Amino acid sequence: MRVSKEWLETFISVDADTETLAETITRGGIEVDDIIDYTKDIKNLVIGYVAHVKQHPEANKLKLCQVNTGDETVQIVCGAPNVKADSYVIVSKVGGRLPGGIKIKKAKLRGEESYGMICSLEEIGISEDFIPEEFKDGIFIFNEEQTPGTNALEALYLDDQVLEFDLTPNRKDALSMIGTAYEVRALFGGEVIEPKRDMTETDDISGISVKNEDSEAVPFYALRKVNNVKIMPSPVWMQHRLLKAGIRPINNVVDISNYVLLEFGQPLHIFDYDNLGSKEIVTRRAKKDEKMTTLDGKERTLLESDIVITNGKEPVALAGVMGGDFSEVTDNTTNVVIESALFEPVSIRKTSGRLNLRSEASSRFEKGVSHEFVLKALDRTAYLLETLAGGTVEKGIVSDGALDLTPTEIDTSVSFINNRLGLDLNADEITETLDKLGIDVKLDGDNIHAIIPSRRDDLKIPEDITEEVARIYGYDNLPSTLPVYSEITPGRLTDNQVKTRVIKKQLSSLGLSGAINYALTEESRVKEFTNASEGLKLKMPMSEIHSTLRTSLIPHLVDNVTYNMNRQRKSVSLYEMGKVFETHGQDKLPTEITKLAAVISGPQYHVEWLGASLSPDFYTLKGILESVFTRLSLKPHVTYERTTEYAELHPGRTAHVLLKGKVIGLIGELHPKYAKDHDLNQTTVFEVNLDEMYKETEGTIRYEQLPKYPQITRDIALEVNSEVTVQDIIDLIYKQNVKHLINVEPFDVYEGEHIEAGKKSVALHLTYLNKEETLTDEIVETLHAPIVDALLAEGFKIRA
Amino acid sequence: MVNFEEIKQSFLSALDAATDMKQLQDVRVKFLGKKGHVSTLMQHMREIPNEEKKAYGQKVNALRTEVTEQLETAIKELEERLLQEKLEKETLDVSLPGRMFTQGGLHPIDRIITDIEDFFLGLGYEVREGYEVETDYFNFEALNLPKTHPARDMQDSFYISDETLLRTHTSPVQARVLNQADGKGPIKIICPGKVYRRDSDDATHSHQFTQIEGLVVDKNIHLSDLKGTLELLAKALFGDEREIRLRPSYFPFTEPSVEVDVSCFKCGGAGCNVCKQSGWIEILGAGMVHPNVLEMAGFDSKEYSGFAFGLGPDRIAMLTYGIEDIRHLYTNDLRFLEQFKYSEDRGVVHESL
Repeated sequence: MRVSKEWLETFISVDADTETLAETITRGGIEVDDIIDYTKDIKNLVIGYVAHVKQHPEANKLKLCQVNTGDETVQIVCGAPNVKADSYVIVSKVGGRLPGGIKIKKAKLRGEESYGMICSLEEIGISEDFIPEEFKDGIFIFNEEQTPGTNALEALYLDDQVLEFDLTPNRKDALSMIGTAYEVRALFGGEVIEPKRDMTETDDISGISVKNEDSEAVPFYALRKVNNVKIMPSPVWMQHRLLKAGIRPINNVVDISNYVLLEFGQPLHIFDYDNLGSKEIVTRRAKKDEKMTTLDGKERTLLESDIVITNGKEPVALAGVMGGDFSEVTDNTTNVVIESALFEPVSIRKTSGRLNLRSEASSRFEKGVSHEFVLKALDRTAYLLETLAGGTVEKGIVSDGALDLTPTEIDTSVSFINNRLGLDLNADEITETLDKLGIDVKLDGDNIHAIIPSRRDDLKIPEDITEEVARIYGYDNLPSTLPVYSEITPGRLTDNQVKTRVIKKQLSSLGLSGAINYALTEESRVKEFTNASEGLKLKMPMSEIHSTLRTSLIPHLVDNVTYNMNRQRKSVSLYEMGKVFETHGQDKLPTEITKLAAVISGPQYHVEWLGASLSPDFYTLKGILESVFTRLSLKPHVTYERTTEYAELHPGRTAHVLLKGKVIGLIGELHPKYAKDHDLNQTTVFEVNLDEMYKETEGTIRYEQLPKYPQITRDIALEVNSEVTVQDIIDLIYKQNVKHLINVEPFDVYEGEHIEAGKKSVALHLTYLNKEETLTDEIVETLHAPIVDALLAEGFKIRA
Repeated sequence: MVNFEEIKQSFLSALDAATDMKQLQDVRVKFLGKKGHVSTLMQHMREIPNEEKKAYGQKVNALRTEVTEQLETAIKELEERLLQEKLEKETLDVSLPGRMFTQGGLHPIDRIITDIEDFFLGLGYEVREGYEVETDYFNFEALNLPKTHPARDMQDSFYISDETLLRTHTSPVQARVLNQADGKGPIKIICPGKVYRRDSDDATHSHQFTQIEGLVVDKNIHLSDLKGTLELLAKALFGDEREIRLRPSYFPFTEPSVEVDVSCFKCGGAGCNVCKQSGWIEILGAGMVHPNVLEMAGFDSKEYSGFAFGLGPDRIAMLTYGIEDIRHLYTNDLRFLEQFKYSEDRGVVHESL
């Protein structure tokens, strides 16, 4: 909504400059987004009277005009095709200024002197979109007599500033000049003057009838008939108030309906009576697949949820959205019917949304119009057609349905309002505040009975009254307090939230930066790094690359690596914590799983001058992952099993991560082909399920007294088949349930020329400790022997 | 007759001639070894007349002591010198970089969320999380946004089916927590998380961003409590000198609703490019929980009241650090992320902003 200050002042006198007005309105709850100042950058703009026009002797397209600018008559060279003698025009005098930093100087054009410039509306800063057709390609010409030399901006109703409102959906009351005036009254005081609507009714009656077939769709529908209108341009004040509001003037009849819409917030429609096709107006829901052509010439196929105005036979308008083609007002129209009605808001919203026909009218109907102004707007339109289009108004209003004008009543109390706000206002202060808003108050002790005018039908419950009191009383006057709770409860993170922080710290300390990627991805990527065959898809994605919810964090992390490598990074290490989504069908909620993923690529912990670094291989990232498990005291429960399930991963260098035997994730090097497709060299990734990890609770740290006795280590070197894993050997050793064995650690693994093909050598430290007494070599020997036996029994060869 | 002086002189010249440890050891053997010049002196004892034996013995001992001491001193000195030489050789260029223990960046959004969580934990709040794919009911209807509500236009959403969508705000967590509370307070929570809206990504819009919802419900919670709480938050985030102002606004799930501005932390309110000359920066939306929201979740809205607020860590990060493009937050460019690995001092505004 754009509110002209000059126009507003015809409704209520405003004793404040534009800045103050805007600031006060903003602080009152209607945000003034912008102030459009039509006087900005304009100087010395006056009305000129063009006395004579003659052809420029040297230039076809230029004319020499003798222009009276008040105190003198000067020659101005003008190139506009529509310049004519005996007309009043806008003149920027020598020394004047125009928007865009233009300075007007005395000039010589093809040898002829020019003392100023005759202006078009565009040249004084009006957007081309709002300029009436007749002035589009030329200068502006007043259609009424003016006084030369007087301020042109004033005569053009452009000595003005316009406030642009950014309205919240609840403040539809401010979608009109009168509503804005009431808001100004609440903030500044004063009285609101309603526009004149005292037309003279003739005795003519055409006998039009109105019938609403569906009173839910159209609760109330009213008409007036006006005869003998003459279509012509509307006066400057109306044209320019419309263009300041962002509506292009068309002709007097169309302009009047738009003008009244802006005055009262009540959309009107004007039909050409002679082309209506009947005297019966019937409103109803459209029939399924019913067709009509709207006034933009497009044929529309309707749904049963649409509301139509018909002539009893066929639709003449799509209610609240757009008129029909044959009943439209044209230059030949003489008799008109004005519609002012209530339509069911949701239907209007659906229809206008579906057909992409949002307009000033539909946007008001879909929010619900104020009952108070339906008939006032109808009368005002008739009055303006009488005064500005020479029309004669037929007697009476024809209507069907009920216009419920009973005001809303809200019961609340002084104590309730104070409690919700944290204030200590007395009954008088509250009454006074509400009175400013035009809300009548009946007081009964603490109880407040508030009577709400229909233009504020957004106020429905006691809390709404609380808000009105707060915003008019002023939020700056509210004290600052902290809640006093009915019960004291501590604020603390849950164990899982603490663990999340621990993991992030751990990974960042190991050099990985925290990434956040989009959860939406390309459909083709949901199969990458997972067993998922499908992802959850958006109904209407904005683009293919953001069409489906991710099933793994890894694909985007890999993209991040490529992105960084393409920007001269030598190494990348990133982690991300976030949700992946496991679909159970498009219409069901997915399972949301919080995962942790990481990627490393390029030399890690690289010190160039030392030539030292860790390669971004399986073991480097596994070490990083194990550090996380260590922090969460999960490491003893985690095992790794090689897998070849994932096409994106190196078949020999990929493992499932198992927690207490259950797969909770994967770790592996990118398959060389996948890496190449992403312009990467050796790159390793992992992804683990945090929800599963958090399920394992270890409680507090179990402290153990420091051992008093030394530990003893025995080494074993084995020759085993290549496919035997170190884990297999360790598991076998532990399976012997040997007392005092506290650790088994591999210290050498060898495969190569000094050993038979298909075999490898594995050397292990076994550590024994008795916490009760010193272990002797003899005792260790008795503990160790069964282990050796078991290894031999497995077919492993003990190496010397 | 044994010439003690000769032995001593011979020792001294041998000692003097010795330049390394080997030679010193040879000197030791030559004089103090079993067959050494000093050791063998005692063998002469037999030849010494009895009355002189004692004096002779003393002389030999004195010589041994002196030789031993001098030898030890020489060894020590040599060792000292060798160590000195070794240390000199080991001298490093201390200006060369150390072995790299790379430190990763903490994502600026994570930093802001952690700061805000810690602030509210200090005020006794809990941190709650919810679903990113929500039902229409919890995302809209339970928040007083029935299907026909015009305010649904305000948030164009990513629907998955007619009844499920990517949450457009973190408010559904509020609705779910209220529903689980069995109509009893106090509730004091903040809910950080990702949210999604149908926006084309550009410098100031992102189809995915983060939000932190806050909710307090108890008996006798006032709008002034919201103001006091947010005032403390603004000071914690932007510095002690900051003030806030509330402007009336509209959200379907709160009544009254307010938008909250903080006085500009760059110019202090005088007007600058950060606050677009207004002196104020909008940081969040808030209000008193709408009675319909309370009632739908089983609370008696006469007895209980509450406040809720929602703020955007993305926006706060952008304001705090002067980040010019929201897309940087989701590109994961290490040149960006690695700028956020350092610890910070609160409330100090950089000149660069």
